[in-house]
Amino acid sequence: MNPSQQLLACATFVFVGAIVQALLALKSGAWKQTRGQFLLMALGFALQTGFIYLRGQEVRQCPIRSLPDILVFIAWSVVLLYFLVGSAYRLSLLGLFTAPLVTIMQVMALMNGFASYPPKGPISALMELHIALALIAYAAFALACITGVMYLVQERMLKRHHIGDLFYQLPPIQGLSHAIQRLVRLGLLLLSIALGISFNLYLPMTKTGHVVFAWTVWGLYAVIAFLIWKHFTSPRRTAWLAVIGFILPFISLWIVTHA
Amino acid sequence: MPEPTDNRSGLLCVGLNYKTTPVEVRERLAFPEAQVPQAVQQVRGLPGFEECVVLSTCNRVEIYAAHTLTSGDHGHAVMRDYLVEHFKLQPEHAEALVLYNLDAAEAARHLFRVVSGLDSMVLGETEIFGQVKAAYKLALDSGATSRTLNKLFQQAFTVGKKVRNETTIQRGSTSVGSVAVDLAEKVHDLKECRVMLVGAGEMSRTCAQSLLSRGAKSIIVSNRSYDKAVELAAEMSGVAMKFDEWENALHEVDVIISSTSAPHFVIKPEQVDQVMRKRRWQPLLIIDIAVPRDVDPAVNDIEGVYLYDIDALQAIADDGRRERERQLAACERIIEEQLERFGFLNPSVS
Repeated sequence: MNPSQQLLACATFVFVGAIVQALLALKSGAWKQTRGQFLLMALGFALQTGFIYLRGQEVRQCPIRSLPDILVFIAWSVVLLYFLVGSAYRLSLLGLFTAPLVTIMQVMALMNGFASYPPKGPISALMELHIALALIAYAAFALACITGVMYLVQERMLKRHHIGDLFYQLPPIQGLSHAIQRLVRLGLLLLSIALGISFNLYLPMTKTGHVVFAWTVWGLYAVIAFLIWKHFTSPRRTAWLAVIGFILPFISLWIVTHA
Repeated sequence: MPEPTDNRSGLLCVGLNYKTTPVEVRERLAFPEAQVPQAVQQVRGLPGFEECVVLSTCNRVEIYAAHTLTSGDHGHAVMRDYLVEHFKLQPEHAEALVLYNLDAAEAARHLFRVVSGLDSMVLGETEIFGQVKAAYKLALDSGATSRTLNKLFQQAFTVGKKVRNETTIQRGSTSVGSVAVDLAEKVHDLKECRVMLVGAGEMSRTCAQSLLSRGAKSIIVSNRSYDKAVELAAEMSGVAMKFDEWENALHEVDVIISSTSAPHFVIKPEQVDQVMRKRRWQPLLIIDIAVPRDVDPAVNDIEGVYLYDIDALQAIADDGRRERERQLAACERIIEEQLERFGFLNPSVS
């Protein structure tokens, strides 16, 4: 394991620690008083950032060209958005729900291993921007998925009158519903810009599949956003769409990186 | 390790509360807030008494004092005489007066329990913390406290915070009204919450008042007797609505509290189902505190609608109480640790 991968492994352990710490805090009922969750997430984010920097040095370009690198980049973006969105909407416990997804992504990346890239030609800033924006859009969809899970958990407890520790710590379902809607819109906006940029790029035929999948993902979230906008669907169904919808971009990553 | 409190052995607490004394006696012995500064000075003026804090709430009247008398019993007797004289109690009332007399570590333990809400009628309630703080501030501003009581009360506030931070003694709801508020908070942002009362029973009034006190935005009152609706709406700065019109407001409200005396269901699934689209799927919390029930249970099956009847509310309140009782031992342990830490349990320190 080289130094960059050691940093990633450390980050993964820290996120596992964040999950354990959050569960223990929930069990003891002292969740609100612990700042440990935030600090652990911040430490994990710093280690992730360190990995991306060192990995960039190794491959001498932005490390977003292989599936493991893309998984780590999305995991990094998810944590970044957690800091931005979690505090903006006061979504307590978002870290507890975020850390497992981030951990899974990083474990998958570590198990896949990090190969070196073929030498790269001249750097295209537009291409780098296109990829980075698309991945951050995927991170927004991932966070919408996580928030959707939180919504469904809280909704179920309210419907079934199961009022326990978790109930008191989760935010109001109306706030969660708004957060899902905004995250879907944010992801869609970022993906639209990324795809808009792709019109100005020369893409070889081998990359056509990538663009098709990206447009498919865009289409799916455009439909979800339209349903939300027109109030055609209830918040519960929107939450389900946000959760299930994320499966498509997640699978498309494999297809895109292995095409 | 903090410096030990001075004159710890000369610390006493004399008082009565809802456990020892019925309300008709407590109300006679309550100190109005405006008279507290004068009272603490009067106690300080008694021979041998140096410091004083008077805590007077609807559930308790307690005097904490630091003295230089040779015996605690003498101090208690002086305090008792002071109360009898101050409130001009008749001999038969004075005779029947039951006070608790605590010294040094016992007095500190009692204050720590009071501040932590362990001695309250509603176990773990947080209002008492603010009341003790206010009582201490009144005494401090009156110049009636010095080193002993300043230290004791600062320690008490530290203990109170520690108990609340490290246990779940204040978690959950223990009354139907507070359960309703907790549920409303988990469905909506309370500041944007619009409430409708269908029926103007006492319990629904209590729930509505709890919601309003926690920041609910507006209230609509609908009742078979329109005059009663107008009266209640005026009391809560809300709007009255004729009973046959409440359905028209369904799409405008976020919480419905129903408590009519109708022998049949007043709120039916078809009425609510129709309105959900018009509400743009905004969630709707319905609290049904009527017996027999006002709301058809099938309403809970509608997406975005959360129905709680009186049994569901009561069950949650009971769980809350049980949970608080389970926390009691942990709270007492913290208090004992803090008494030890502050040197109250170690006679050699003082």
